[in-house]
Amino acid sequence: MSFKKILKRNEFYIVIIIIALSLIIQAKSGQFFTENNLVDLARSLIVPGMMASGLFMVIASGNIDVSFPYTAMLCMFGVTKLFQTIDYQGPVAAGFLLAAVIGAFLGLINGILAAWLKLPTLIITLGTCTIYLGFTQGVLKSSVISVLPTPLADMAATNLFSVRNAVTNLGSSMPISIFLLIGALLLVGFIMKYTMLGRGIYAVGGDPVAAERVGFNVKAIRIFVFTFCGMMGGITGLTQVTLSGMCQINFFDGYEMTIIAAVVLGGASIAGGSGSVIGTFLGVLLMKLISNNLILLGIPTNWSKLMTGVLIIAGVCISSYKAVAAERKITSNILDSKSGKEAAHE
Amino acid sequence: MNNAAANKTGILERIRRDNNNVKLVIMMILCLLVLAAATGGKSATPNQLQLIAYLFPEMGVLALGMMLAMVSGGIDLTVIAVADLSGILSCMVMKELMPPEANLAIQLLVLLITLIFALAVGAVCGIFTGTLIARIGIPAMVATLGASDIILGIAVGITNGSAVKELPPILNQVVNARLFGAVPSTTIIFAICAAIVAFILNKTALGFKIYMIGSNKAASKYSGMNNEKIYTLTYMISGMLASVSGLLMCGHFNSARSDFGKAYLTPAILICVLAGVNPNGGRGKVSGVVLAVIILQMLSSGFALFQNISDYYKNLIWGLVLILVMIVNVTSERRKVWKG
Repeated sequence: MSFKKILKRNEFYIVIIIIALSLIIQAKSGQFFTENNLVDLARSLIVPGMMASGLFMVIASGNIDVSFPYTAMLCMFGVTKLFQTIDYQGPVAAGFLLAAVIGAFLGLINGILAAWLKLPTLIITLGTCTIYLGFTQGVLKSSVISVLPTPLADMAATNLFSVRNAVTNLGSSMPISIFLLIGALLLVGFIMKYTMLGRGIYAVGGDPVAAERVGFNVKAIRIFVFTFCGMMGGITGLTQVTLSGMCQINFFDGYEMTIIAAVVLGGASIAGGSGSVIGTFLGVLLMKLISNNLILLGIPTNWSKLMTGVLIIAGVCISSYKAVAAERKITSNILDSKSGKEAAHE
Repeated sequence: MNNAAANKTGILERIRRDNNNVKLVIMMILCLLVLAAATGGKSATPNQLQLIAYLFPEMGVLALGMMLAMVSGGIDLTVIAVADLSGILSCMVMKELMPPEANLAIQLLVLLITLIFALAVGAVCGIFTGTLIARIGIPAMVATLGASDIILGIAVGITNGSAVKELPPILNQVVNARLFGAVPSTTIIFAICAAIVAFILNKTALGFKIYMIGSNKAASKYSGMNNEKIYTLTYMISGMLASVSGLLMCGHFNSARSDFGKAYLTPAILICVLAGVNPNGGRGKVSGVVLAVIILQMLSSGFALFQNISDYYKNLIWGLVLILVMIVNVTSERRKVWKG
């Protein structure tokens, strides 16, 4: 890839912003490039990173999903409660499999409704997310689970390695679930880049009618992206349990906004048809970098919600403005050539 | 003979065209009967009906704003944020302005200034959102999602998430007032708002253009309409309606908080969908919204009478109803197209 091409890519600019931000934080606190801070950062990327990789597919296909945090919530409480009631002692992988299946099923509902009704997916998923929320709070009667079943507690206690900061004496450890994040990113990257399905997702996002004419099964693709996003949500829900060692109903409050913001910041057009998994990951990294260091950057925590909004708008503004400008250019070109022809006629 | 037949089909045609409203009226009567039967008549007492009439406008005024945005082919997720922010700001202003021990005239004057201020806040928020959508070209959904975080972020930032309390009593008194001892003032405010929106949509050029832009954005642009201006105005009006709803909430709770509106987003969208507003734009009637909001409040207040249904189930039911109504609307529409 030539240097000029790199300059044109969104990811390049995000990397620059990320480097600049980390240098600022390092200069202000002197604690950024320490082992424990970097491990903490990686740890905090796991959950949003996995969710974003699922949502990225949905957004690339020109749809939107706001129900995935509620899917995660439902799976988190559902699986943990089930393990508690049957006093499950087997391998933890069964829990993740179950969470994935429940999540995929909830996603499938979204997908079928989206493909069948052809209404704005925001409204559909807004409807299903209140159902999932109501189910979790009403039927499962969930609010807090502080003592986890053994398999989950064991996983929560297992770490790859631990580091300790010599100066501040703060320690942090790298959880195994980092592999889940890496796996999710690789899987999504592979599907989007090297399979016909991935090409189809981009095509549907770019122009569903054109994609259908070319021979893609638009309905199946829609159903797939929502199912995948739901599955990711389910797995993420259980991952969150093993990370924090407990279940709480407000774990994913406001996640829909943050994750959408991250994906959009990463360069995926909200209208669909573009974006990359690397960009998505970088978007998540940037969001986390900012939200973890709000105070260091001089922003009081009360204003953090405002920050998310500004970030999302700023991110979308750039890509939308590019699109509008391109459209104007095309229109003016057409008009120019038309008036040119007329002039030639006369 | 021919004429009579034509006349007959004319009436049928009209009922068929107003299909959705007829459906809604039947649904309303059914709801009333079923709830009355299930609660042993408790849900149809004059007190309960007054309560419904008192409560539905908060949701209804929000839904009117949402409807305008949906008719124009977009959606306005900022309505709840705008209601919260303008509620908070105008309550602060009212507290500042209100002189101690003022007489009724001055109190009402301050309330009027507060209302104008709230409307201004709503208008500014709406213009901001409208500009993002119209001039920068961000899809309405994302623009309003981001803008609602910004607007709500300001509300949370100003109040630190706590409530603005000890408001001058006049707001609460006005909102709780009953006209002729029976009609809540909130109902009248809703009626005024609904009348204004109906007037705009049916009798003005702007309304016609909003329907046009919702049916076909490109066509309206090439027929010489100023799409940018229409979008901005649509979201401005929606923001102003939201601010009215914000004041109603503040009057109801006698305080202002940044999370009052939170629970109203799904119901507001549900009302619009139930009312037959097409989420893809171009269709929707104020009469439908009025009927839909009354049905919803009837159900909501009806559920409250059952002790064993927790509030959490309300979410579940709203979501289910929303999805079901969408399924019914879409399938009946397709059947119509199939027949036609």
